[in-house]
Amino acid sequence: MIKDKRDDIKEISKYILDISGINLDESKAYLIETRLGGLIKEYECSSYKELRSKAETDSNKTIENKIIDAISTNETLFFRDREPFEVLQHKILPDLIDRRTEKASGLLPIPIRIWSAACSTGQEAYSIAIVLKELLPDLKKYNVRLFGTDISDSAIAQASYGTYNKFEIERGLSKGKLEKYFIPNGGNWKISDEIRAMVSFNKGNILKPFAGVEKLDIIFCRNVAIYFDLEERKKLFENIASVLEPDGFLIVGSTESLTGICPIFEPKRYLRTIYYQLK
Amino acid sequence: MKQLKILAVDDDPFTLKMLDKKLAKEGYDIETASDGVEAGKLISKKFYDIIITDLVMPGGVDGIDVLEAAKTKNKQTEVILLTAHASVENAVEAMRKGAFDYLQKPVNFYELTLCMEKIKNYKKLLKNAQDLREAMDVTEQNAAQTIQLLEMNVAELNNVVSEIRQVIMNQSIDPNKCVARVLDIVSS
Repeated sequence: MIKDKRDDIKEISKYILDISGINLDESKAYLIETRLGGLIKEYECSSYKELRSKAETDSNKTIENKIIDAISTNETLFFRDREPFEVLQHKILPDLIDRRTEKASGLLPIPIRIWSAACSTGQEAYSIAIVLKELLPDLKKYNVRLFGTDISDSAIAQASYGTYNKFEIERGLSKGKLEKYFIPNGGNWKISDEIRAMVSFNKGNILKPFAGVEKLDIIFCRNVAIYFDLEERKKLFENIASVLEPDGFLIVGSTESLTGICPIFEPKRYLRTIYYQLK
Repeated sequence: MKQLKILAVDDDPFTLKMLDKKLAKEGYDIETASDGVEAGKLISKKFYDIIITDLVMPGGVDGIDVLEAAKTKNKQTEVILLTAHASVENAVEAMRKGAFDYLQKPVNFYELTLCMEKIKNYKKLLKNAQDLREAMDVTEQNAAQTIQLLEMNVAELNNVVSEIRQVIMNQSIDPNKCVARVLDIVSS
Protein backbone atom coordinates (compact mmCIF):
# COMPACT_ATOMS: atom_id res chain seq x y z
CA MET A 1 0.00 0.00 0.00
CA ILE A 2 1.45 3.43 -0.83
CA LYS A 3 2.29 5.60 2.16
CA ASP A 4 -0.21 8.42 1.51
CA LYS A 5 -3.05 5.93 1.21
CA ARG A 6 -1.88 4.12 4.36
CA ASP A 7 -1.87 7.41 6.29
CA ASP A 8 -5.31 8.20 4.92
CA ILE A 9 -6.66 4.82 6.13
CA LYS A 10 -5.01 5.35 9.53
CA GLU A 11 -6.69 8.73 9.81
CA ILE A 12 -10.20 7.32 9.28
CA SER A 13 -9.46 4.22 11.43
CA LYS A 14 -8.60 6.47 14.36
CA TYR A 15 -11.80 8.43 13.84
CA ILE A 16 -13.87 5.21 13.68
CA LEU A 17 -12.20 4.01 16.89
CA ASP A 18 -13.08 7.32 18.59
CA ILE A 19 -16.74 7.35 17.59
CA SER A 20 -17.54 3.64 17.86
CA GLY A 21 -14.75 1.76 19.67
CA ILE A 22 -14.42 -0.49 16.61
CA ASN A 23 -10.75 -1.19 16.04
CA LEU A 24 -9.83 -1.45 12.36
CA ASP A 25 -6.08 -1.73 11.95
CA GLU A 26 -4.21 -1.71 8.66
CA SER A 27 -5.07 -5.33 7.98
CA LYS A 28 -8.74 -4.33 7.75
CA ALA A 29 -8.12 -1.67 5.08
CA TYR A 30 -10.24 -3.71 2.64
CA LEU A 31 -13.19 -3.44 5.02
CA ILE A 32 -12.88 0.33 5.21
CA GLU A 33 -12.65 0.59 1.44
CA THR A 34 -15.63 -1.65 0.68
CA ARG A 35 -17.83 -0.19 3.40
CA LEU A 36 -16.97 3.52 3.12
CA GLY A 37 -16.47 3.69 -0.64
CA GLY A 38 -20.12 4.69 -1.13
CA LEU A 39 -19.87 7.57 1.35
CA ILE A 40 -16.69 8.88 -0.30
CA LYS A 41 -18.67 9.16 -3.54
CA GLU A 42 -21.85 10.47 -1.91
CA TYR A 43 -20.00 13.33 -0.19
CA GLU A 44 -17.63 13.85 -3.15
CA CYS A 45 -14.48 13.45 -1.06
CA SER A 46 -11.04 12.89 -2.54
CA SER A 47 -9.74 11.13 0.58
CA TYR A 48 -10.85 9.54 3.87
CA LYS A 49 -9.24 12.51 5.61
CA GLU A 50 -11.69 14.79 3.83
CA LEU A 51 -14.60 12.50 4.79
CA ARG A 52 -13.44 12.67 8.40
CA SER A 53 -13.24 16.45 8.45
CA LYS A 54 -16.67 16.73 6.80
CA ALA A 55 -18.08 14.36 9.44
CA GLU A 56 -16.47 16.34 12.26
CA THR A 57 -17.89 19.66 11.07
CA ASP A 58 -21.37 18.26 10.36
CA SER A 59 -23.30 19.60 13.33
CA ASN A 60 -26.30 17.27 13.02
CA LYS A 61 -23.97 14.24 12.85
CA THR A 62 -25.57 12.76 9.73
CA ILE A 63 -22.20 11.74 8.26
CA GLU A 64 -20.96 10.31 11.58
CA ASN A 65 -24.11 8.19 11.84
CA LYS A 66 -23.74 7.00 8.26
CA ILE A 67 -20.12 6.00 8.94
CA ILE A 68 -21.21 4.04 12.04
CA ASP A 69 -23.98 2.33 10.06
CA ALA A 70 -21.59 1.42 7.25
CA ILE A 71 -18.84 0.10 9.47
CA SER A 72 -20.83 -1.82 12.10
CA THR A 73 -21.77 -5.43 11.49
CA ASN A 74 -25.43 -6.08 12.16
CA GLU A 75 -25.21 -9.85 11.90
CA THR A 76 -27.89 -11.16 14.25
CA LEU A 77 -30.81 -13.54 14.25
CA PHE A 78 -33.66 -14.68 16.43
CA PHE A 79 -32.54 -17.12 19.14
CA ARG A 80 -28.94 -16.98 17.87
CA ASP A 81 -27.02 -20.07 19.11
CA ARG A 82 -30.20 -21.31 20.89
CA GLU A 83 -28.33 -22.39 24.07
CA PRO A 84 -28.11 -18.94 25.73
CA PHE A 85 -31.90 -18.74 25.55
CA GLU A 86 -32.27 -22.23 27.02
CA VAL A 87 -29.98 -21.22 29.89
CA LEU A 88 -32.08 -18.08 30.34
CA GLN A 89 -35.31 -20.06 30.41
CA HIS A 90 -34.26 -23.08 32.47
CA LYS A 91 -31.57 -21.74 34.78
CA ILE A 92 -31.11 -17.98 35.00
CA LEU A 93 -34.72 -16.78 35.22
CA PRO A 94 -35.90 -19.54 37.62
CA ASP A 95 -32.88 -18.91 39.92
CA LEU A 96 -33.34 -15.17 39.80
CA ILE A 97 -37.07 -15.34 40.45
CA ASP A 98 -36.56 -17.70 43.40
CA ARG A 99 -34.08 -15.31 45.00
CA ARG A 100 -36.11 -12.17 44.26
CA THR A 101 -39.29 -13.81 45.55
CA GLU A 102 -37.60 -14.55 48.89
CA LYS A 103 -36.60 -10.91 49.19
CA ALA A 104 -39.91 -9.43 47.95
CA SER A 105 -42.43 -7.95 50.33
CA GLY A 106 -45.30 -9.52 48.44
CA LEU A 107 -46.89 -6.15 47.77
CA LEU A 108 -44.85 -4.93 44.82
CA PRO A 109 -44.24 -6.81 41.58
CA ILE A 110 -40.84 -8.56 41.47
CA PRO A 111 -38.34 -6.55 39.41
CA ILE A 112 -36.45 -8.24 36.58
CA ARG A 113 -34.14 -5.93 34.64
CA ILE A 114 -32.51 -7.22 31.47
CA TRP A 115 -30.22 -5.45 29.01
CA SER A 116 -29.46 -6.51 25.45
CA ALA A 117 -26.23 -4.55 24.91
CA ALA A 118 -25.47 -3.72 21.27
CA CYS A 119 -28.83 -5.15 20.30
CA SER A 120 -28.43 -4.37 16.59
CA THR A 121 -31.83 -4.70 14.86
CA GLY A 122 -33.58 -6.11 17.92
CA GLN A 123 -33.73 -9.87 17.32
CA GLU A 124 -31.94 -10.73 20.58
CA ALA A 125 -34.10 -8.43 22.70
CA TYR A 126 -37.32 -9.82 21.15
CA SER A 127 -36.05 -13.40 21.63
CA ILE A 128 -35.56 -12.60 25.34
CA ALA A 129 -39.07 -11.11 25.50
CA ILE A 130 -40.51 -14.28 23.91
CA VAL A 131 -38.69 -16.46 26.48
CA LEU A 132 -40.11 -14.29 29.29
CA LYS A 133 -43.61 -14.51 27.86
CA GLU A 134 -43.42 -18.31 27.52
CA LEU A 135 -41.86 -18.90 30.92
CA LEU A 136 -44.00 -16.46 32.87
CA PRO A 137 -47.63 -16.54 31.78
CA ASP A 138 -48.46 -14.35 34.79
CA LEU A 139 -46.15 -11.53 33.63
CA LYS A 140 -48.12 -8.93 35.63
CA LYS A 141 -46.64 -10.34 38.83
CA TYR A 142 -43.27 -9.06 37.66
CA ASN A 143 -41.91 -5.64 36.91
CA VAL A 144 -40.01 -6.63 33.77
CA ARG A 145 -37.79 -3.98 32.23
CA LEU A 146 -36.06 -5.07 29.07
CA PHE A 147 -33.72 -2.62 27.33
CA GLY A 148 -31.94 -2.79 23.99
CA THR A 149 -29.21 -0.32 23.04
CA ASP A 150 -27.07 0.06 19.95
CA ILE A 151 -24.72 2.65 18.52
CA SER A 152 -26.37 2.61 15.09
CA ASP A 153 -29.37 4.90 14.52
CA SER A 154 -30.72 2.82 11.67
CA ALA A 155 -30.39 -0.45 13.65
CA ILE A 156 -32.32 1.10 16.55
CA ALA A 157 -34.94 2.42 14.12
CA GLN A 158 -35.51 -1.07 12.67
CA ALA A 159 -35.53 -2.63 16.13
CA SER A 160 -38.14 -0.12 17.31
CA TYR A 161 -40.25 -0.69 14.23
CA GLY A 162 -40.04 -4.45 14.80
CA THR A 163 -40.50 -5.42 11.15
CA TYR A 164 -38.36 -8.12 9.54
CA ASN A 165 -38.09 -9.45 6.01
CA LYS A 166 -38.41 -13.11 5.05
CA PHE A 167 -34.65 -13.76 5.34
CA GLU A 168 -34.43 -12.30 8.82
CA ILE A 169 -37.47 -14.31 9.88
CA GLU A 170 -36.34 -17.59 8.32
CA ARG A 171 -33.27 -17.66 10.56
CA GLY A 172 -33.76 -19.03 14.05
CA LEU A 173 -37.54 -18.81 14.41
CA SER A 174 -39.75 -21.89 14.52
CA LYS A 175 -43.01 -21.81 12.55
CA GLY A 176 -44.93 -21.97 15.83
CA LYS A 177 -43.19 -18.91 17.29
CA LEU A 178 -43.48 -17.04 13.99
CA GLU A 179 -47.24 -17.52 13.88
CA LYS A 180 -47.70 -16.80 17.57
CA TYR A 181 -45.59 -13.67 17.93
CA PHE A 182 -45.54 -12.06 14.46
CA ILE A 183 -48.13 -10.56 12.17
CA PRO A 184 -47.75 -10.70 8.35
CA ASN A 185 -47.19 -7.18 7.06
CA GLY A 186 -46.97 -6.98 3.27
CA GLY A 187 -44.11 -9.29 2.32
CA ASN A 188 -42.64 -8.78 5.82
CA TRP A 189 -43.45 -9.78 9.40
CA LYS A 190 -44.09 -7.42 12.31
CA ILE A 191 -43.54 -8.35 15.94
CA SER A 192 -46.81 -8.52 17.91
CA ASP A 193 -47.75 -5.45 19.98
CA GLU A 194 -47.59 -7.50 23.17
CA ILE A 195 -43.92 -8.49 22.64
CA ARG A 196 -43.03 -5.07 21.21
CA ALA A 197 -44.35 -3.35 24.34
CA MET A 198 -42.00 -5.39 26.54
CA VAL A 199 -38.81 -3.87 25.08
CA SER A 200 -37.53 -0.30 25.00
CA PHE A 201 -34.81 0.61 22.52
CA ASN A 202 -32.35 3.49 22.79
CA LYS A 203 -29.24 4.65 21.04
CA GLY A 204 -26.13 4.15 23.17
CA ASN A 205 -22.39 3.53 22.94
CA ILE A 206 -21.42 0.71 25.29
CA LEU A 207 -17.87 2.04 25.56
CA LYS A 208 -19.02 5.29 27.15
CA PRO A 209 -19.34 5.26 30.97
CA PHE A 210 -22.76 4.01 32.11
CA ALA A 211 -23.53 7.05 34.27
CA GLY A 212 -26.96 6.99 35.87
CA VAL A 213 -27.73 3.44 34.71
CA GLU A 214 -29.70 1.44 37.25
CA LYS A 215 -28.42 -1.97 38.36
CA LEU A 216 -29.32 -4.85 36.09
CA ASP A 217 -30.09 -8.51 36.77
CA ILE A 218 -29.19 -10.03 33.40
CA ILE A 219 -26.95 -8.63 30.66
CA PHE A 220 -26.56 -10.07 27.17
CA CYS A 221 -23.40 -8.71 25.54
CA ARG A 222 -22.73 -11.11 22.71
CA ASN A 223 -20.40 -10.85 19.73
CA VAL A 224 -19.73 -7.17 20.27
CA ALA A 225 -16.44 -7.09 22.15
CA ILE A 226 -14.87 -9.14 19.32
CA TYR A 227 -14.67 -5.92 17.30
CA PHE A 228 -12.77 -4.06 20.06
CA ASP A 229 -9.10 -4.21 21.03
CA LEU A 230 -8.00 -5.74 24.35
CA GLU A 231 -8.01 -2.46 26.30
CA GLU A 232 -11.49 -1.56 25.09
CA ARG A 233 -12.74 -5.06 25.98
CA LYS A 234 -11.39 -4.73 29.50
CA LYS A 235 -13.06 -1.34 29.86
CA LEU A 236 -16.35 -2.70 28.51
CA PHE A 237 -16.55 -5.69 30.88
CA GLU A 238 -15.47 -3.58 33.86
CA ASN A 239 -18.30 -1.16 32.99
CA ILE A 240 -20.70 -4.10 32.73
CA ALA A 241 -19.55 -5.43 36.12
CA SER A 242 -20.25 -2.03 37.65
CA VAL A 243 -23.93 -2.11 36.62
CA LEU A 244 -24.62 -5.80 37.27
CA GLU A 245 -26.31 -6.84 40.51
CA PRO A 246 -23.94 -8.88 42.73
CA ASP A 247 -26.01 -12.00 41.98
CA GLY A 248 -26.73 -10.99 38.36
CA PHE A 249 -25.89 -12.91 35.19
CA LEU A 250 -23.82 -12.07 32.12
CA ILE A 251 -24.02 -13.91 28.81
CA VAL A 252 -21.36 -13.35 26.15
CA GLY A 253 -21.00 -14.75 22.62
CA SER A 254 -20.47 -18.50 22.25
CA THR A 255 -16.89 -18.08 21.02
CA GLU A 256 -15.92 -15.30 23.45
CA SER A 257 -13.82 -15.68 26.57
CA LEU A 258 -13.32 -13.40 29.56
CA THR A 259 -10.08 -15.13 30.60
CA GLY A 260 -7.39 -12.48 30.89
CA ILE A 261 -9.96 -9.76 30.24
CA CYS A 262 -12.05 -9.43 33.34
CA PRO A 263 -11.03 -11.67 36.28
CA ILE A 264 -13.90 -10.51 38.48
CA PHE A 265 -16.27 -12.68 36.45
CA GLU A 266 -16.46 -16.41 37.07
CA PRO A 267 -17.61 -18.78 34.30
CA LYS A 268 -20.33 -21.29 35.20
CA ARG A 269 -21.45 -24.15 33.05
CA TYR A 270 -25.06 -25.15 32.41
CA LEU A 271 -26.03 -27.77 29.81
CA ARG A 272 -23.80 -27.08 26.84
CA THR A 273 -23.04 -23.45 27.46
CA ILE A 274 -21.45 -20.97 29.84
CA TYR A 275 -22.74 -17.91 31.69
CA TYR A 276 -20.85 -15.58 34.01
CA GLN A 277 -21.42 -14.25 37.50
CA LEU A 278 -19.39 -11.89 39.66
CA LYS A 279 -16.98 -13.70 41.99
CA MET B 1 -27.25 -24.15 -11.21
CA LYS B 2 -30.11 -26.59 -11.77
CA GLN B 3 -32.73 -25.87 -14.43
CA LEU B 4 -35.38 -23.56 -13.01
CA LYS B 5 -38.97 -24.83 -12.89
CA ILE B 6 -41.43 -22.27 -14.23
CA LEU B 7 -45.22 -22.07 -14.12
CA ALA B 8 -46.91 -19.64 -16.52
CA VAL B 9 -50.53 -18.68 -15.79
CA ASP B 10 -52.75 -16.74 -18.20
CA ASP B 11 -56.33 -17.04 -19.46
CA ASP B 12 -55.23 -15.64 -22.81
CA PRO B 13 -54.21 -18.73 -24.83
CA PHE B 14 -52.07 -16.70 -27.21
CA THR B 15 -49.87 -15.18 -24.43
CA LEU B 16 -49.68 -18.55 -22.70
CA LYS B 17 -48.53 -20.32 -25.85
CA MET B 18 -45.92 -17.64 -26.54
CA LEU B 19 -44.57 -17.88 -22.98
CA ASP B 20 -44.44 -21.66 -23.22
CA LYS B 21 -42.63 -21.66 -26.55
CA LYS B 22 -40.13 -18.88 -25.86
CA LEU B 23 -39.17 -19.94 -22.34
CA ALA B 24 -38.81 -23.60 -23.34
CA LYS B 25 -36.51 -22.41 -26.12
CA GLU B 26 -34.47 -20.48 -23.52
CA GLY B 27 -33.97 -23.79 -21.70
CA TYR B 28 -36.44 -23.38 -18.84
CA ASP B 29 -38.54 -26.30 -17.59
CA ILE B 30 -41.97 -24.74 -18.14
CA GLU B 31 -45.56 -25.76 -17.34
CA THR B 32 -48.72 -23.77 -18.02
CA ALA B 33 -52.11 -23.18 -16.42
CA SER B 34 -55.01 -21.45 -18.15
CA ASP B 35 -56.44 -19.82 -15.02
CA GLY B 36 -55.85 -19.22 -11.30
CA VAL B 37 -57.85 -22.28 -10.23
CA GLU B 38 -55.70 -24.65 -12.28
CA ALA B 39 -52.55 -22.83 -11.08
CA GLY B 40 -53.64 -23.27 -7.46
CA LYS B 41 -53.98 -27.04 -7.95
CA LEU B 42 -50.51 -27.30 -9.53
CA ILE B 43 -48.90 -25.11 -6.81
CA SER B 44 -50.35 -27.30 -4.07
CA LYS B 45 -48.79 -30.39 -5.67
CA LYS B 46 -45.30 -29.27 -6.62
CA PHE B 47 -42.60 -26.64 -6.22
CA TYR B 48 -41.89 -23.97 -8.83
CA ASP B 49 -38.86 -21.66 -8.75
CA ILE B 50 -40.68 -18.94 -10.67
CA ILE B 51 -44.37 -18.31 -11.40
CA ILE B 52 -45.29 -15.86 -14.16
CA THR B 53 -48.95 -14.98 -13.77
CA ASP B 54 -51.47 -12.64 -15.32
CA LEU B 55 -52.93 -10.27 -12.74
CA VAL B 56 -56.57 -10.23 -13.89
CA MET B 57 -58.14 -13.62 -14.62
CA PRO B 58 -61.68 -15.00 -14.60
CA GLY B 59 -62.90 -17.77 -12.28
CA GLY B 60 -62.50 -16.03 -8.91
CA VAL B 61 -58.76 -16.67 -8.50
CA ASP B 62 -56.64 -13.75 -9.74
CA GLY B 63 -52.89 -13.14 -9.93
CA ILE B 64 -52.70 -11.82 -6.34
CA ASP B 65 -54.38 -15.03 -5.12
CA VAL B 66 -51.85 -17.09 -7.12
CA LEU B 67 -49.04 -15.02 -5.55
CA GLU B 68 -50.39 -15.59 -2.04
CA ALA B 69 -50.89 -19.34 -2.62
CA ALA B 70 -47.35 -19.65 -3.98
CA LYS B 71 -45.79 -17.73 -1.09
CA THR B 72 -47.78 -19.67 1.50
CA LYS B 73 -46.66 -22.96 -0.03
CA ASN B 74 -43.01 -22.01 -0.32
CA LYS B 75 -41.35 -18.64 0.30
CA GLN B 76 -38.54 -19.57 -2.13
CA THR B 77 -40.91 -19.30 -5.11
CA GLU B 78 -40.58 -15.95 -6.90
CA VAL B 79 -43.56 -14.46 -8.71
CA ILE B 80 -43.64 -12.13 -11.73
CA LEU B 81 -47.00 -10.45 -12.43
CA LEU B 82 -48.18 -9.60 -15.92
CA THR B 83 -50.44 -6.59 -15.97
CA ALA B 84 -52.39 -4.40 -18.37
CA HIS B 85 -51.55 -0.71 -18.23
CA ALA B 86 -54.75 0.11 -16.33
CA SER B 87 -53.96 -2.18 -13.42
CA VAL B 88 -50.47 -0.95 -12.53
CA GLU B 89 -51.69 0.12 -9.10
CA ASN B 90 -52.71 -3.46 -8.34
CA ALA B 91 -49.29 -4.61 -9.48
CA VAL B 92 -47.67 -2.23 -7.00
CA GLU B 93 -49.90 -3.76 -4.32
CA ALA B 94 -48.64 -7.20 -5.44
CA MET B 95 -45.04 -6.03 -5.01
CA ARG B 96 -45.89 -5.13 -1.42
CA LYS B 97 -47.22 -8.65 -0.97
CA GLY B 98 -43.90 -10.13 -2.04
CA ALA B 99 -43.95 -10.32 -5.86
CA PHE B 100 -40.45 -10.13 -7.35
CA ASP B 101 -41.44 -7.80 -10.20
CA TYR B 102 -44.24 -6.94 -12.63
CA LEU B 103 -44.22 -6.51 -16.40
CA GLN B 104 -46.76 -4.69 -18.54
CA LYS B 105 -48.63 -6.50 -21.27
CA PRO B 106 -48.13 -7.14 -24.11
CA VAL B 107 -45.13 -9.09 -22.84
CA ASN B 108 -41.77 -7.90 -24.09
CA PHE B 109 -39.74 -11.11 -24.07
CA TYR B 110 -36.43 -9.30 -23.82
CA GLU B 111 -37.69 -7.63 -20.62
CA LEU B 112 -39.01 -10.96 -19.33
CA THR B 113 -35.72 -12.81 -19.86
CA LEU B 114 -33.86 -9.93 -18.16
CA CYS B 115 -36.17 -10.30 -15.19
CA MET B 116 -35.62 -14.08 -15.13
CA GLU B 117 -31.83 -13.54 -15.22
CA LYS B 118 -32.21 -11.20 -12.25
CA ILE B 119 -34.09 -13.90 -10.33
CA LYS B 120 -31.43 -16.47 -11.23
CA ASN B 121 -28.64 -14.22 -9.94
CA TYR B 122 -30.65 -13.39 -6.85
CA LYS B 123 -31.18 -17.09 -6.10
CA LYS B 124 -27.48 -17.78 -6.68
CA LEU B 125 -26.47 -15.02 -4.25
CA LEU B 126 -28.96 -16.32 -1.73
CA LYS B 127 -27.51 -19.82 -2.01
CA ASN B 128 -23.98 -18.44 -1.56
CA ALA B 129 -25.08 -16.53 1.53
CA GLN B 130 -26.74 -19.65 2.96
CA ASP B 131 -23.66 -21.79 2.26
CA LEU B 132 -21.40 -19.23 3.90
CA ARG B 133 -23.71 -18.97 6.90
CA GLU B 134 -23.77 -22.73 7.32
CA ALA B 135 -19.97 -22.90 7.09
CA MET B 136 -19.75 -20.09 9.64
CA ASP B 137 -22.19 -21.83 11.99
CA VAL B 138 -20.20 -25.07 11.92
CA THR B 139 -16.90 -23.25 12.52
CA GLU B 140 -18.47 -21.19 15.29
CA GLN B 141 -19.93 -24.25 17.03
CA ASN B 142 -16.57 -26.04 16.98
CA ALA B 143 -14.75 -22.96 18.23
CA ALA B 144 -17.38 -22.41 20.94
CA GLN B 145 -16.93 -25.96 22.29
CA THR B 146 -13.15 -25.58 22.49
CA ILE B 147 -13.24 -22.08 23.96
CA GLN B 148 -15.85 -22.94 26.58
CA LEU B 149 -13.92 -26.03 27.65
CA LEU B 150 -10.73 -23.99 27.97
CA GLU B 151 -12.60 -21.27 29.84
CA MET B 152 -13.84 -23.76 32.45
CA ASN B 153 -10.40 -25.45 32.73
CA VAL B 154 -8.64 -22.13 33.24
CA ALA B 155 -11.17 -21.13 35.92
CA GLU B 156 -10.67 -24.46 37.69
CA LEU B 157 -6.86 -24.14 37.54
CA ASN B 158 -7.07 -20.58 38.86
CA ASN B 159 -9.05 -21.85 41.85
CA VAL B 160 -6.43 -24.55 42.50
CA VAL B 161 -3.65 -21.98 42.28
CA SER B 162 -5.35 -19.63 44.73
CA GLU B 163 -6.02 -22.50 47.18
CA ILE B 164 -2.34 -23.51 47.00
CA ARG B 165 -1.30 -19.90 47.47
CA GLN B 166 -3.44 -19.66 50.62
CA VAL B 167 -1.85 -22.82 52.06
CA ILE B 168 1.68 -21.64 51.29
CA MET B 169 1.06 -18.14 52.65
CA ASN B 170 -0.29 -19.57 55.90
CA GLN B 171 2.87 -19.53 57.96
CA SER B 172 1.29 -21.28 60.93
CA ILE B 173 1.23 -24.58 59.02
CA ASP B 174 4.16 -26.93 59.49
CA PRO B 175 6.18 -27.06 56.18
CA ASN B 176 5.76 -30.83 55.86
CA LYS B 177 2.02 -30.63 56.39
CA CYS B 178 1.98 -27.74 53.94
CA VAL B 179 3.52 -29.89 51.20
CA ALA B 180 1.14 -32.73 52.00
CA ARG B 181 -1.87 -30.39 51.76
CA VAL B 182 -0.66 -28.90 48.47
CA LEU B 183 -0.29 -32.42 47.06
CA ASP B 184 -3.82 -33.18 48.25
CA ILE B 185 -5.20 -30.12 46.48
CA VAL B 186 -3.35 -30.93 43.26
CA SER B 187 -4.43 -34.59 43.21
CA SER B 188 -8.09 -33.81 43.93
